[in-house]
Amino acid sequence: MKNLIYTALFGSIMMFSSCDDVEVPATMAMDISLEHVLDGQTLELNGKSFTLPSGEDFTPKKFKYYISNVALRNSVSGETYVEPNSYHLISEDGKKSIDLGMIPSANYDQLTFSIGVDEVANGKTDQTGDLDPNSDMAWNWNTGYKFVVLEGEFTNSNSGERQGLIIHIGTNPNFRTVTQSLTGVIAGSPTSLTLTSNLDELFKDPNILQLSELESTTIMFGEMAGKVAENYSEGFITVK
Amino acid sequence: MKKLSKLILSLPLVWACTSGEDPVISEPKIHYYIPEVSSTLQVAGFPQPERNMLSEEGVALGKRLYFDPNLSGNGKVSCATCHSPSLAFTDGLALAKHGVSGKGLHRTSPPLFNLAWQSEGLFWDGGAHDLESLNFAPLTHPDEMGADLNELISYLESDPVYKEQFEFVFSEGQIQSAQISRAISQYVRSLISQDSKYDRWKRSEAELTELELTGYQLYQKNCSSCHQEGLFTDRSFHNNGLDKAYPNPPALEGLYQGRFRITSNPEDMGAYKTPTLRNIVLTAPYMHDGRFQTLEEVLDHYQNGIQVNETLAPALSEGIKLSTTERVAIIAFLNTLTDSLFIQKHQK
Repeated sequence: MKNLIYTALFGSIMMFSSCDDVEVPATMAMDISLEHVLDGQTLELNGKSFTLPSGEDFTPKKFKYYISNVALRNSVSGETYVEPNSYHLISEDGKKSIDLGMIPSANYDQLTFSIGVDEVANGKTDQTGDLDPNSDMAWNWNTGYKFVVLEGEFTNSNSGERQGLIIHIGTNPNFRTVTQSLTGVIAGSPTSLTLTSNLDELFKDPNILQLSELESTTIMFGEMAGKVAENYSEGFITVK
Repeated sequence: MKKLSKLILSLPLVWACTSGEDPVISEPKIHYYIPEVSSTLQVAGFPQPERNMLSEEGVALGKRLYFDPNLSGNGKVSCATCHSPSLAFTDGLALAKHGVSGKGLHRTSPPLFNLAWQSEGLFWDGGAHDLESLNFAPLTHPDEMGADLNELISYLESDPVYKEQFEFVFSEGQIQSAQISRAISQYVRSLISQDSKYDRWKRSEAELTELELTGYQLYQKNCSSCHQEGLFTDRSFHNNGLDKAYPNPPALEGLYQGRFRITSNPEDMGAYKTPTLRNIVLTAPYMHDGRFQTLEEVLDHYQNGIQVNETLAPALSEGIKLSTTERVAIIAFLNTLTDSLFIQKHQK
């Protein structure tokens, strides 16, 4: 106990006495904003047509996903900040930012986050905040959340007809964690990070989705959902 | 009189101050409780999620919500519409059309009791992990109650009695969808059927007739491997030979494939939850889609209607052969599983 008091005392002396040019505040503001891009252009819903990697033209109508368990780390010193209760519903027509508030100061050089909702949180839906089942992201007949939702209309290259596309990916095996390097984050300085969600990556790398050749363009479970999850595990959301 | 009550109210405050402590106004307490569980259910304790422990006030709120048709999109459908207490919380229909849209459902309404012990998943295919998660399905499905959760919350917020009940039970300023489901879950979890003639017989409070006893022995020999004594279900999922093949129209998202729809495990193709035999006489029609109107039809199916395919429950590969007198006996026994006390107790 005494040691603790001395440490605290010493710590505060350090803080007050180091008022020269080297002082680093204990905390720093951090926020993350997200940009949605398809075919090299800013995403728009219900109007504009985009070209998919497979060549079909596509009009997006809904795009929503969960980012969870956000953590920042300095890979040299090991200093780590893990956001508590970290579940963020991001959507093209809604929230496109994550405000981490004031976090402990460090020269963070790594950002880790997950796409989807972890197994514990995915095991029940009577939850609040961004996990409130009123957001149309909860599955009611098969308990859990949709991790990534993309809906829209495309032109079938065989028939020339307009056809609906529904991609709802969830279930624990499709939960993915991504780590990205950061540059230029300076301990104590307010920082705004930007992430880019590149929708092309849902349709390629490593699995090419040729919509016009698919047996069903409602992709929810099973093998096809797993392929989309493989696609979004790398390159889908990246630090700008 | 008014003055007097004010005086009495202020007494503890004054008293608390004079005793040298901070004045504390004691909050009314929530009455948590564990229901009594009969040994005849053959279960250990009363399992409930830590985040939603049963309280008298929670159950009362849940009960009010359960019977309130204003929860539905058109103000006409309550939980009790499809799960009526007088039919052991079923509706007596195969595929009901009394939801908000008037469209027929694809599954029959299952009875609601002894669900605290249904640990392997709810719904006919086990897709819901717990009651708290399940409730959002019937509440919001357009062919069932068709509620918009945000509108539902405005309705409850605007009713001062609901508002007070929610605040009391959940101690939060704002009603949230999670609380609605939790309250309903508390009520449903409190529904325990354990006082049938069978239970009283097991507790040496009643006697079975000779015919009923013969039926009991036939049940043990032929039915108890799946309809395990106690809860009268093994809480598991089996293909009981209803269909040979399982069509999969894309619009229904695997609905005819049974538990396979949930697990993607080929062994679960065509498998459905073993329903309890408790109150079975009250819960016709039978099977997940209500295809059999009577218990006789069910026995016919097990005797000579079994459709054999690779996922059929091995115990049923030869069917269940019963003579006419054996059938009479087994049905007499099934009648002893009707719990009139439970039905009376839970009339609205």
